[in-house]
Amino acid sequence: MRTKSTLFFLFILLSGLIFYGCGGRFQHDQLSFGIKAAQNELWDEAIFRWKKVLQVNPDSASAHNNLAVAYEKKGLWEEAEKEYKLALNLSPKNEHIQSNYEKFKKIKQGLDEEDEKKDEKKKRI
Amino acid sequence: MKKRKEYSLLLIFLLSVMGACRTTSDTRVRIAMPLFTKIKLSDYNKVIITDFLQQNEIKDFNVNEELTKYFSTEIKQEAKTTVATENISIENEENFENSDFWKTLTPASAGTLYFSGTIEYTQETRKALIGKAKKQFEDPFPSPRKLATRKFYTLDMNVYLIDARTGEPIFQRNFKESQSYTNPNQTGYFAFFDLMNRVKDKLFRQVLGGERIQERYLITK
Repeated sequence: MRTKSTLFFLFILLSGLIFYGCGGRFQHDQLSFGIKAAQNELWDEAIFRWKKVLQVNPDSASAHNNLAVAYEKKGLWEEAEKEYKLALNLSPKNEHIQSNYEKFKKIKQGLDEEDEKKDEKKKRI
Repeated sequence: MKKRKEYSLLLIFLLSVMGACRTTSDTRVRIAMPLFTKIKLSDYNKVIITDFLQQNEIKDFNVNEELTKYFSTEIKQEAKTTVATENISIENEENFENSDFWKTLTPASAGTLYFSGTIEYTQETRKALIGKAKKQFEDPFPSPRKLATRKFYTLDMNVYLIDARTGEPIFQRNFKESQSYTNPNQTGYFAFFDLMNRVKDKLFRQVLGGERIQERYLITK
């Protein structure tokens, strides 16, 4: 009797663990597929995949971050900023999202990093 | 005892399956990102290049004439819009901020953009003693230090893009470029185009946009 209840407890525990572990499989697949599409310059496909992730899990900071990058690529600045902010709200300590957002802000402010670097180099010469 | 062993084996197997399912990775990608521009040149159907307010003059070289010729060709080519030149004399720098001045030039002309500004083009000859950098070992036959002459050209431009409807400047930026030449007989004409090309690259990137390779992280989690 005792063995049976232990077995049952074990079964429930492991099922829970597997569900937790593989539950994000769909998200991971969609996110990865989106990245593959983006790497092949298929940005609309990538956006479609990442939006699908958000339908299932609206709190996915990764999907928001990736969408922001895609919007940035398409020149949709307001949408990109909105997605970056959402991603940072969900995962404020994520260094990659922070880095992406900082670079985005620089571009939006019109800071021409390359020009500045060139000018500095010239001054040093 | 045997059963316990079986359970622990099953547990290890299931834990490893779970671990395999839970993966996290970040992908660094290099993307050609469009550059952000506040000005939409497509909103304007005509660009009028005026004379620039000239701060000084260089002998045998008409800066304003060359400048308007240069920009009318380049803007026509890059922005694919109608470009015209007009001899509008801007007497002082305050006029760039004076909206009435611009509005009275072309009353009720919607879709016109004025391309104007100030320009200062200077040349300078500098002489200096030049020697070789110190080497680790002393040169037994040192060459004497020479007096070298360099010719410097500096182009200092303030560019204003003014909306004819409102008379307000929608873009203003200063560009200062200088170039030195070892040839003391280098002409101002030749150097001018060297410097103008640099100004053009920076200006057009800000006004017309373009693309820049950027690094971003895409995340799978």
